[in-house]
Amino acid sequence: MNDMKYSICFISFIFLFLMSMLNFIFMIYFIMNNMVFFLEWEIISFNSMSIVMAILLDWMSLLFMMFVFLISSVVIYYSKSYMSSELNLMRFIILVLLFVFSMMLLIISPNIISILLGWDGLGLVSYCLVIYYQNLKSYNAGMLTALSNRIGDVLILMVISWMMNYGSWNYIFYLEFMNNDWEMKFVSSMIIMAAMTKSAQIPFSSWLPAAMAAPTPVSALVHSSTLVTAGVYLLIRFNMLLLDTFFFKLLLLLSGLTMFMAGISANYEFDLKKIIALSTLSQLGLMMSILSMGMPDLAFFHLLTHAMFKALLFMCAGVIIHMMNDMQDIRFMGGISLYIPLTTLCMNISNMALCGIPFLAGFYSKDLILEMVSFSSFNLSIFFLFYFSTGLTMFYSFRLVMYLMINDYNLMSVYNLYDEDYIMLKSMFTLLFMSVVSGSFLNWMIFSYPYMIYLPFNMKMMVIYVSLIGGIFGYLISNMNIYSMNKFIMTYNLSNFLGMMWFMPNLSTYGLNYYFLNFSQNLVKNIDLGWSEIYSGFGMMSIMKKYSVYYNIYQMNNFKIYLFSFVVWMMIILFMMLFNI
Amino acid sequence: MYMLNSNKMFFFFILFFSTLISISSNTWFGCWIGLEINLLSFIPLISNSNNLLASEASLKYFLTQAIASINFLFTILMKMIMMKNFEMNNFILIMMNSSMLMKMGSTPFHFWFPNIIEGLTWFNSLILMTWQKITPMILLSYCFNKNFIIIIIIFNIIIGAIGGLNQTSLRKLMAFSSINNLGWMMSAIMISQTLWIFYFLLYSFMITIMCFLFHILNMYFINQLFINNMNFLIKINLLINFLSLGGLPPFIGFFPKWIIINFLINNKMYLLTLLFMMMSLIMLFYYIRIIYSAFMFNYLKMKWFKIFIKNNFFIIINFFSFISMTGMILSTFFFF
Repeated sequence: MNDMKYSICFISFIFLFLMSMLNFIFMIYFIMNNMVFFLEWEIISFNSMSIVMAILLDWMSLLFMMFVFLISSVVIYYSKSYMSSELNLMRFIILVLLFVFSMMLLIISPNIISILLGWDGLGLVSYCLVIYYQNLKSYNAGMLTALSNRIGDVLILMVISWMMNYGSWNYIFYLEFMNNDWEMKFVSSMIIMAAMTKSAQIPFSSWLPAAMAAPTPVSALVHSSTLVTAGVYLLIRFNMLLLDTFFFKLLLLLSGLTMFMAGISANYEFDLKKIIALSTLSQLGLMMSILSMGMPDLAFFHLLTHAMFKALLFMCAGVIIHMMNDMQDIRFMGGISLYIPLTTLCMNISNMALCGIPFLAGFYSKDLILEMVSFSSFNLSIFFLFYFSTGLTMFYSFRLVMYLMINDYNLMSVYNLYDEDYIMLKSMFTLLFMSVVSGSFLNWMIFSYPYMIYLPFNMKMMVIYVSLIGGIFGYLISNMNIYSMNKFIMTYNLSNFLGMMWFMPNLSTYGLNYYFLNFSQNLVKNIDLGWSEIYSGFGMMSIMKKYSVYYNIYQMNNFKIYLFSFVVWMMIILFMMLFNI
Repeated sequence: MYMLNSNKMFFFFILFFSTLISISSNTWFGCWIGLEINLLSFIPLISNSNNLLASEASLKYFLTQAIASINFLFTILMKMIMMKNFEMNNFILIMMNSSMLMKMGSTPFHFWFPNIIEGLTWFNSLILMTWQKITPMILLSYCFNKNFIIIIIIFNIIIGAIGGLNQTSLRKLMAFSSINNLGWMMSAIMISQTLWIFYFLLYSFMITIMCFLFHILNMYFINQLFINNMNFLIKINLLINFLSLGGLPPFIGFFPKWIIINFLINNKMYLLTLLFMMMSLIMLFYYIRIIYSAFMFNYLKMKWFKIFIKNNFFIIINFFSFISMTGMILSTFFFF
């Protein structure tokens, strides 16, 4: 059995890796020759509606699939070592494979029904993965994840029903031609809201930090690169429909605010995985906002590069958590660079890629995005949100690096930090290679012609300025010691507000639950167990019993009395008869 | 077996023929004769000089039934004298129906019924609950006062339902159930006689199975149901038959009640229907209470000897229970 659970990791790793290479080859071929494959199978066609199962293979879906397969293969290989003490490893691997399958369905479908299959599958499997460790925190986190995702599922169901107006569910055909229809307005608003739930934008952002209760390989695969980017991918597919509508402008505002809020909240967090989760949330906000400005290919580009280095970051976090005896609080960590240099290497490179240090993966996408934002004509608030969030990214990344690597080790006095877990290292090195190389590689592959950007000098250097300032602040804030803590009492309320994600998780948990549950408790106590029992359940029974007892008392009498009563009755009837005749 | 005593067999045959005399006679007088012979032949069946309760029961039975017969005779003669046998007055009808009600053991003259049945064996109580109802019911169906009968029906079902809630003796319970079913049968009489025959046949079928089962298990009280060591199949039989008696579909006891409700609604007697249904719910409640205690409670198991219930008629009971269970569905196969 031991051998079998190791070999399922290996087999699925080999399989997914080969699939990834296959997709890579096909993708290059398709991009070079500008080909699109559309395979469809008509299931049934009745009256005016045709149900068709279709597969769309163009360069975008092949590229995304390649990245998804690559990351999932590396994650499964990683979890061979990370989850090696798990009793039910087979269950875990099968859940991850189910997840990859749902994601694949989502990516290759031009058909809203198979998107629903993939979407619902993603929501369900991510719930199963979040509750994988069965403790109370995981249960709560899983419930929050599942219900937030469920809202998106419902919205896509409604989109399906609205799209029955058009005769088939292949939305690909209706994106440009029908985008002024009245029905399409509903479809577009619902699609945007569904994507917002999946990608955890502002009203629905509470589930992403909470879903960190999942095992770290799950976070690396699901919550960094695939599940949360499903929403972005959906909007990229629907982009033609949604350009210049009101909802897209609304999405710009909300995603910009998400980016901003997540960046601020990450500075107040002390849980390693939550910092990385909020960093993911910030980058998602970036992707959504550049998408809503009408540049879907830039959003796609950033999606892919971000997937690489974020998965790598989660994996490094996993190694560190293993080293620290499952402790995730960064205040206990420190000086890691002295002990586990290879992991530190990976972590540093992924952090730098995240911040947009030149010529790593993140630079190509992020810098291009920021320059395009400066080049288009948007107002000061959007500009501020983008650049300030970039500075915040540097801020929390630098703070993380200071806490983890530069300050002193804070956990216990006897420790053994070892780096030589080669399985985990091999997975991380694969992603390391990709996160260095994939930025430039994708830049050369995807964009057949470069973007034209003409900016004044200071605006071009703005990125470097905000990064530098962010870095300096990151350094300063991690130098706080116990004596400077007492000044923080003055900013206690503000810190609470900013660090708890502006209290929005409370709105989506307490705000929705508390009054309803209170009300129903009153109802149950007063009506279900109270008056309703008297009038229908228990009260009736006690009345019946009482009357039955009376009847029994009434019946236990003398025999003569029965006969006498009969005779009296007869007499009465007789006299009435006589008098009436 | 019970009937191998030649005396009892003799009286049983006379009982049988007395009913036939009563229902096939031309005149009211002939009915009265049949009733008297019925009374006379039933008393020896009941009375048992060894058992004090039985002989007391026979005496009480004699007194009540005698008064009812006398009353019946008086009413017939009164009618003959005063109305020259040509017309029916409503009051005369009430008197005649009252005497029939007293014969049957229906409200408001039912007080003797649970009392007496306490002293009878199961076989005798079976006769009392089924056969003895035939004559009065048929005589009732010849002419009755509709308003009076409806009031009596309502009282019957209420008393049958509520009176049975507090009983622990199985015979008294069956007596109250019988009073309840008398209400149903009287409402069937109001509609048509064929309906009454249908209800009566199915009802006596169900009661026969019950009495047989209890006779074989030798059980007279509810606590005996869960003290004894019955095997599972007997318990299943008990369950099926009690539920069928309570009128639960898909058992056969549901069928007559359903037909009666159908015809009552056709004749626009809605309130009566509602009352029927509510009271049969209460009846079902206490049947289920009995079955529940038979099924769920743990029974006493003696270590040093096994209580072995030997029954020769198990196959008959099983066959009848099978009819109870599937009768309604099988009967639909017979009409195509």
